[in-house]
Amino acid sequence: MTRISPSPGQKIIYLLLIFLGSFILYVDINTNNFQKIKNGFNSFKISSFFFIKSFSINPIIDFKNHFQFKDKLIKENKKLHTALEKSYLEKYLISQDSKFFKDPKFLEEKLDQNNLNKPFYIAQLKNLDPNIFNCCDKHRMHIQLLTASNESLIEGVVFNTSGVIGHIIHETNYKEVMLLTDVSHSLPIKNISEDFYCNARGSGISDYVICNYNPLVLNKKMEIGQNFLTSGFGGIYPKDIKIGILEDIKVIDSNNIELNIKLSSNPLNSNLFGVINF
Amino acid sequence: MKNYIKIIFIIAIINFIELSISNTLSRAYIIFPLTFLSYSYYVYKSHQNINPIEAFLFGLFVDLISNSYFGLNTILFCLITYLINIYSNSFKLFSNLQICIFFGLSAASYVGFTQLIINLYNFSYLTLFVSAVFNIFFSILIAVISMYSGNLINIRK
Repeated sequence: MTRISPSPGQKIIYLLLIFLGSFILYVDINTNNFQKIKNGFNSFKISSFFFIKSFSINPIIDFKNHFQFKDKLIKENKKLHTALEKSYLEKYLISQDSKFFKDPKFLEEKLDQNNLNKPFYIAQLKNLDPNIFNCCDKHRMHIQLLTASNESLIEGVVFNTSGVIGHIIHETNYKEVMLLTDVSHSLPIKNISEDFYCNARGSGISDYVICNYNPLVLNKKMEIGQNFLTSGFGGIYPKDIKIGILEDIKVIDSNNIELNIKLSSNPLNSNLFGVINF
Repeated sequence: MKNYIKIIFIIAIINFIELSISNTLSRAYIIFPLTFLSYSYYVYKSHQNINPIEAFLFGLFVDLISNSYFGLNTILFCLITYLINIYSNSFKLFSNLQICIFFGLSAASYVGFTQLIINLYNFSYLTLFVSAVFNIFFSILIAVISMYSGNLINIRK
């Protein structure tokens, strides 16, 4: 069957639609106007995924688990036993601190220094697209609080067992987290000797942030393996949290040196996160 | 209407497959736009011209489900629909290899354009080149399979 080539009228419609698409693309890149639609759809997608899973995959897993119950119970018992022993050891060190340290108040002071006045919330990972995380400029993930919170957690710091991983930028049913590696993310950092400060932007590559500075303005010699901490200047992240180590120094030109900092934290390390609003 | 719902459902499944395999392929510097290629194939195989508004809406739907910027797939879906519609009769004069190269290169152009928008800071010519080669070979593979397995996947009208 022969197909007719598009008529001039259809060509004009194609042209108009391509212009409309370009306009929408421009608006989406430069503004946040479509964010509500995207967040709404993501919420719907995640909720329906878990809903469907609870009726389809979960019963099969439960059925399978039913037969492996005893083995699982023994393994869990061993695991708990090990964790309990470890916990005993840690507590023993604290309870006997006066015998271990010359200054009996050593541990008390250390604990007081890290005293947190604000409560923090535990959240669970709901969505992190590993494809986007490994390839593209936009590094985001969605989490859900396990306990209800009345306060707004926008700009709340999100961390896991490996360290700080980002902050919350949108709130719906799920919280959208902008990760440190997102290219639009900027994190004020400093070195340990506190004589070098810069804004580390996300590199778009997992595990790395980039810091640029002008060697003509700041003549500071950097060393590979140097530690970097948060400076606390941005008002979102508290100061003196370890961010990562300097892994590579690139001289772009005489006015620009690029520092590649490998982050010590990784959002893929765990499914549980802490959220705190400083 | 039933047909449209069917196509939307198939696009959603293909997009899910694309997202599932893309992480593995990206380690080999390959970006494989399966949704785009499938849509191109649908337009190519269609017995009548695809309406520009239909292409626009399919593109917008893919933008929504793939979590990319709105307008990105919309533009590219409109463009590929226009190109295939305009050359629909000329394709009959082309060999299978030429058609495969056309689809492979259009997929590579798609990869290049999307990478410029969503991955500008880490744009890689290596990825673009490897993806182009991979997509051309994939199209050839599909054509070969269709030739040796009857009407399973009939790439030629």
